Amino acid sequence: MPAHDSSNFLLRLLEWLGLSSWVPGWALILGTALAGVVLLLVIIALVALFSVWMERKVGGHIQCRLGPMYPGGWHGWAQTIADGLKLFQKEDMIPKGADKVLFVLAPALVLASIFGALVAMPLSYDWYFARMDLGIFTILALGSTTTIGVIMSGWASNSKWSLYGAMREAAQVVAYEIPLGLALLCPLMTLGTFSLLEASSLQSGWFGLQWTIFQDPFNIAAFIIFWIAALAETKRAPFDLPEAESELVAGFMTEYSGLRWTFFMMEEYAAMFLMSVVAGVFFFGGFESPATALMRQVELDGTVLYSLVCFGTLVAKGFAGVFLMMWLRWTLPRVRIDQVMTMGYKYLTPLALLCVLLTALWEAARFALFG
Amino acid sequence: MTNVKEYLTNVWKALRTTTVGMGITGRYFLQKPITIQYPDERLPIPDRFRGVHYLEQEKCINCLACARACPVDCIEMDAVRHAGNELEWVSFTVDYQKCMFCELCVYPCPKDCIHMGAEFAFAVYDRSELKLDLLSYLGMAPDARVRMKEAEAKKKAKEEAKRKKAEEAAKKKAQEAAEKQAEEGEGEA
Repeated sequence: MPAHDSSNFLLRLLEWLGLSSWVPGWALILGTALAGVVLLLVIIALVALFSVWMERKVGGHIQCRLGPMYPGGWHGWAQTIADGLKLFQKEDMIPKGADKVLFVLAPALVLASIFGALVAMPLSYDWYFARMDLGIFTILALGSTTTIGVIMSGWASNSKWSLYGAMREAAQVVAYEIPLGLALLCPLMTLGTFSLLEASSLQSGWFGLQWTIFQDPFNIAAFIIFWIAALAETKRAPFDLPEAESELVAGFMTEYSGLRWTFFMMEEYAAMFLMSVVAGVFFFGGFESPATALMRQVELDGTVLYSLVCFGTLVAKGFAGVFLMMWLRWTLPRVRIDQVMTMGYKYLTPLALLCVLLTALWEAARFALFG
Repeated sequence: MTNVKEYLTNVWKALRTTTVGMGITGRYFLQKPITIQYPDERLPIPDRFRGVHYLEQEKCINCLACARACPVDCIEMDAVRHAGNELEWVSFTVDYQKCMFCELCVYPCPKDCIHMGAEFAFAVYDRSELKLDLLSYLGMAPDARVRMKEAEAKKKAKEEAKRKKAEEAAKKKAQEAAEKQAEEGEGEA
């Protein structure tokens, strides 16, 4: 990033605070980076806090229960905070036979990968950590680095359960990375961009009719394939084989406790949110909603309020996706590993390829007919 | 061709069953939860539920009918009887380590003063705490005390009257005797 690239909203914030007049340029950039790191960590923590509470409430209500009700007073809103405090106090254990370096490194790597992927996620049209024209590549590439951490943790734990979990994760991710990428190619072709910001602005319009998912039938199929693959990528039920608490204790996390375990859990929920945001941006219009369209109509765009509304829209779409994931989790039983493989290789991959082909033809036809 | 058909059927089935399942769970999600927040709200307890006993102490006459009826001998009571048949209560204990909530103590009660209550959750830290005292007050009820005082006063008055009567009778007797003596003395003289 050049010294005074004011595209970064944190840098702009620091400049607005008047720091740029007396702080040297390098310190400004360092401060921006640190602020970004803190902000991202806060985002991950908040997403995990809210998602875990939501998971328990959604799961509870789907089973006609109530979920947590006591901590914090109102519908147990502080349950996750209480859980976090408990986890924070837990003993930090490393098994005797474990490979200590890898064991300690694995959760950090897992968290770092999702951290890196989140950098590519814009918060609003003018709030982003880095303007990336290939944002979706970054997200997919860094997002799947998680697997390395998971395999590392499984191997370093020196436990059969962990190793089984890690091998399943490896097999699963290799199988589902392909349909995930292929399915995403369909909206990418429809929109003609890899940038999340651009993809979002291309879908602007009233009542979401410009959303990619309504552009052609193959995008709907692509979304379903993407969603199934995203569930497998984020290790969510019905594809939670790497954890498989009823067969493998806790899979690759078996030997982890306390804060290190919390890192894995935070990664899972942050990855869920990120995948939902990606789906929201490339299928469901990103920052675009009737509210933003209205604000543009009355020429309120460019204000902080507009940015906030865009941010709120994206967060709402992200959590709508997270809710869909939870709904699926509490509906479907876990599939067997051979079923996972069959589904990945025999169904999703060919169907995703077909989708790509048909979307390409559709787009070519549209280009030929309408220019 | 059959393979292609099977393949497509599988895809269709997967989508359809998932949608149906999500419909079911979605309905449950929107439905009102059936959970009762137990200590805060409770289900209504049936009228004939047999929980911890409830004693109407004012009515009880310490007749031991319930204790005798108890098949496991878990009821013990102790009271002192005062004037006017008023009771001063010392204890009325039921040992819930033994009690099997059979309700057999309720039927023989001549005053209909022992009942099976609604309380069922009475966890304690020590077994000895399971021997519960059912008395709502120790000693005597205030009105019983008043009645006892009245009865005592009545008794005292009665006794006083009796004593007076006896005294008078004795006096009369003595007088009569003296008169007789005097008469006899006159006669002699």
